[in-house]
Amino acid sequence: MRETIVVFRRELRSYFLSPIAYVFGILLVSVLLYYVTEATLQNGARATAEPLFGTLPFMLVLFLPGLTMRLWAEERKLGTLELLMTFPVRTGQLVLGKFFACLAYLAIVLALTIGLPLTLGAYGKLDWTPVLGSYLASLLFAGSFVAVGMFWSSTTRDQMVAMLLSLVSLFVLYQLGNPQNIEYASGWMPAWLVDTVNGLSPHKYFVSIARGVLDTRDLVYFACFCGFFLYANALALETRRTKG
Amino acid sequence: MARTQSIVWERGSTPALVLHVLLLLLVLGQAVYLASRHRVRVDLTSDGLWSSTTSTRDLLAKLDKRLVVEAYFSPKEKLPVAVRETRAWADSFLDELVQLGKGNVVVQRFDPNADKAIRDKATRVGVKPLELRSQSSTSLSVDVHWQGLRFVYGGDKNKVVPQFAPGSSFLAEAVITPAIKEVITTQKRRIGYMEWPATNPQGAQAGPLGWNVLRTLDGIAKRYEFQNLKDEDGALLPDDLQTLFLFRPKDLTDRQKYVLDQFVVKGGTLVAFVDAAEYMVGPQRTMTKVPLALDANGSAQKLTDQLLHYGLDWKPRLVADLMPDAFQPRDLIQGRFEYFAVPQLTPFGQQLSPIEYPYFFHPVAIDWKDVAEQLAKDNAGKVDKELAEQYRKLFVPGMPSDEFVFQAWKQQKRGPGFYWPTWVGLRSKAGGAPDLPPDVQGRVLLWSSPAALVEDPPQSLNPVGFGDGQQRLDAYQKFRSKLRERLAAEPRQQAPLMAEVRGRFASFFAGQERPKRASESKEEEARKAGEAAKEGEQKPEDPAKVDPNGPPKPDAAAPEPTVVAEVAMVERGDKPGRIVLIGDADFLRDDIVRGDYAQAGGPVSGRSAAPFFAQMLDWLAEDKDLVALQSKVATDRSLKFVSDTLDPNADPRLQEQALRRKTTWLRTLNVALPGALLAALGLFVYFVRRAQKRTFLTSIG
Repeated sequence: MRETIVVFRRELRSYFLSPIAYVFGILLVSVLLYYVTEATLQNGARATAEPLFGTLPFMLVLFLPGLTMRLWAEERKLGTLELLMTFPVRTGQLVLGKFFACLAYLAIVLALTIGLPLTLGAYGKLDWTPVLGSYLASLLFAGSFVAVGMFWSSTTRDQMVAMLLSLVSLFVLYQLGNPQNIEYASGWMPAWLVDTVNGLSPHKYFVSIARGVLDTRDLVYFACFCGFFLYANALALETRRTKG
Repeated sequence: MARTQSIVWERGSTPALVLHVLLLLLVLGQAVYLASRHRVRVDLTSDGLWSSTTSTRDLLAKLDKRLVVEAYFSPKEKLPVAVRETRAWADSFLDELVQLGKGNVVVQRFDPNADKAIRDKATRVGVKPLELRSQSSTSLSVDVHWQGLRFVYGGDKNKVVPQFAPGSSFLAEAVITPAIKEVITTQKRRIGYMEWPATNPQGAQAGPLGWNVLRTLDGIAKRYEFQNLKDEDGALLPDDLQTLFLFRPKDLTDRQKYVLDQFVVKGGTLVAFVDAAEYMVGPQRTMTKVPLALDANGSAQKLTDQLLHYGLDWKPRLVADLMPDAFQPRDLIQGRFEYFAVPQLTPFGQQLSPIEYPYFFHPVAIDWKDVAEQLAKDNAGKVDKELAEQYRKLFVPGMPSDEFVFQAWKQQKRGPGFYWPTWVGLRSKAGGAPDLPPDVQGRVLLWSSPAALVEDPPQSLNPVGFGDGQQRLDAYQKFRSKLRERLAAEPRQQAPLMAEVRGRFASFFAGQERPKRASESKEEEARKAGEAAKEGEQKPEDPAKVDPNGPPKPDAAAPEPTVVAEVAMVERGDKPGRIVLIGDADFLRDDIVRGDYAQAGGPVSGRSAAPFFAQMLDWLAEDKDLVALQSKVATDRSLKFVSDTLDPNADPRLQEQALRRKTTWLRTLNVALPGALLAALGLFVYFVRRAQKRTFLTSIG
């Protein structure tokens, strides 16, 4: 546990010492809020943060690969991964430390959007509990995508390749939860397969929490999804370490 | 973990790795599957949008027979995805019903597509198939799916929901719970009514305009039986009748007034929807007054005096409310034709936009004392403290009652929409204190805002005139300016819009001869004529004066009177009666409820009139079963960047400019500030690190 915290602190610190965190944060928050405020801040409209949390998943699909691509690929490119592996730290602890640091950084970036709900609360009766639920859902959703992005980053030393692989897989995962695509797929896929494929998308579970219902099923899903990709990440690193 | 893995890696086989991952997937998949089977969910919304209400629980607790829910559902996996989502809600709510029913609720599922006999039965009982288009990469087809319900209670009573596709658990409950209420209602409550049809709009198809639509709504008609008791003869109302509705009474004869008097004196509940004037919605929605007399020709007693006798003060004058919060439609998407919209040129072409028409408004559920200071401001914005104090004493909440009929409305912060309403309050003394008869209690249930104007009904209330383009705009500006000038000149007042008195009433006709029924009057005339004839027979008749073509002589052996003698007048009843007076009948009128003027820009009242009428019936019947469900309305969460309740005299253009400035400023702030904060942090870190670097370089020389 202590080792994980050490890795976590080192990683989180590194975010704020490099310009990428600021560029990523400013771009994500500005683009997201630019698209959202127009629809949200209208006199007579309902005080709801739904547009914010409705747009956020797609923004994460676009932006997150840029953040996760460097997590392992950069270490490998710079040759620091081998050094890391020599530390008295297990691979799992390394993976968890990096994962939670990335998640903490994203939580800080997400927290910067709190101004919008505060404005809504100042000029209307905003229902705060679903908003907090939506922030939790966003964090879980972002966590699942970070886990996928980290996995791809661990499989290659080229950051561009990692980013493209992440982008494609995140886009596919996002689209699997899109009802229109499922509708189309149900025309030629067997029903059980359609249900299974639909059940894979984190977007479906994100929507479930963001609407204002905290369900153990959704929490278990996110835990399992993140757990699987983090485990796969650790496996990939271990394989590389074993093979030298 | 590491030791186990290292064993695997030492073996280094790819199949082992794949097996490893597959096993993990299997375990995690199983965990997700189990979690979806045994779920614990918490509804985070403060309005409980995703939880069932006590209405459902209480109704199910009342079941003393078995309630069978026949679900005619196509298999879920064959449904299109959009409908499959609604099936999830339907299944979830039906499961909850079974759980809450504690053995009294059974859900039977049938697939009509699987068996012709089931399909025939579904069609026979009234379930309708959903015909949905389905598109694949190569074809487009129309598939027939089924998703309907039939509730059978105690083997005989049943209710069918032909198609059922709820988008949420609340919508599932909103359909299922009233259906259960209908099916378990053992006896319909009888309600008498009398209505006086309104004038048909010009150009519309002939036929009287009544108040039928709401009475015949499925959810109402299955629980309440309406009986037309408007009797030409003027017979007294049945003793077992508890409630009588009057829809826009007019041309009332003394006999009709006597019938109503005896009804309330004997303990009946009289509910009257009254209008001071009738306005016909003509072509281009020209609002022209049609003659309306409350009392019939030759009537010796005035209806308003009769009501005053019971403690109700109906001033047959029109009320307009100039408070923006009262006349502005709140739902700009679905409810913009609730009041009055006119074609206006917008960036998207000509569209119907709501305009200010203060004769159409709703009571606002705020305590007007709270805004006394703002309303006591002069043109320079200075508060007249003395006036503010006076307002604080004078003003009352728009919806002061906590009765359950108003619960849902209070949550929405507004009552039902009224159209050309009239003043209906309590009889009061000179100082304004209520002056009710002995043994009678009364209260006002709905008030306008303090920006009310009260006037005699004008001949025309068309806000845009009869011209085109600029002429209509000029007419509208003139119409609005005139009202605002009047508001500025008159003292602020609230107009009562709904009032109730209860107690043991004394008859309005006490000490007088009771008005006779039409048949009694006829009989009396016939008897007098007979007596006159008898007197004539006794005198020798001059044959020269007899007209051979004249009417035949009355038969000396005329039949005895056939009219049944009426019970004596009750001058003071033993049981407490009740009168509820609502200062508008138009909002329940068929053409306005149906939305006949929706295409033209309103008025349309269905969205508020129907729930108000249904809730009022339950309130009168003291049936609280559906209150929790009806009260489950989303809290008003509309954003208000500028206040609607303050300063009704303010220039709307200035308000619009202020609104635009504020929203632009807020949007800019919301977009720029988070990025700027992060950038500032980045710069701070950069300068700190640069300083550290310089210090370090200096220290090493």
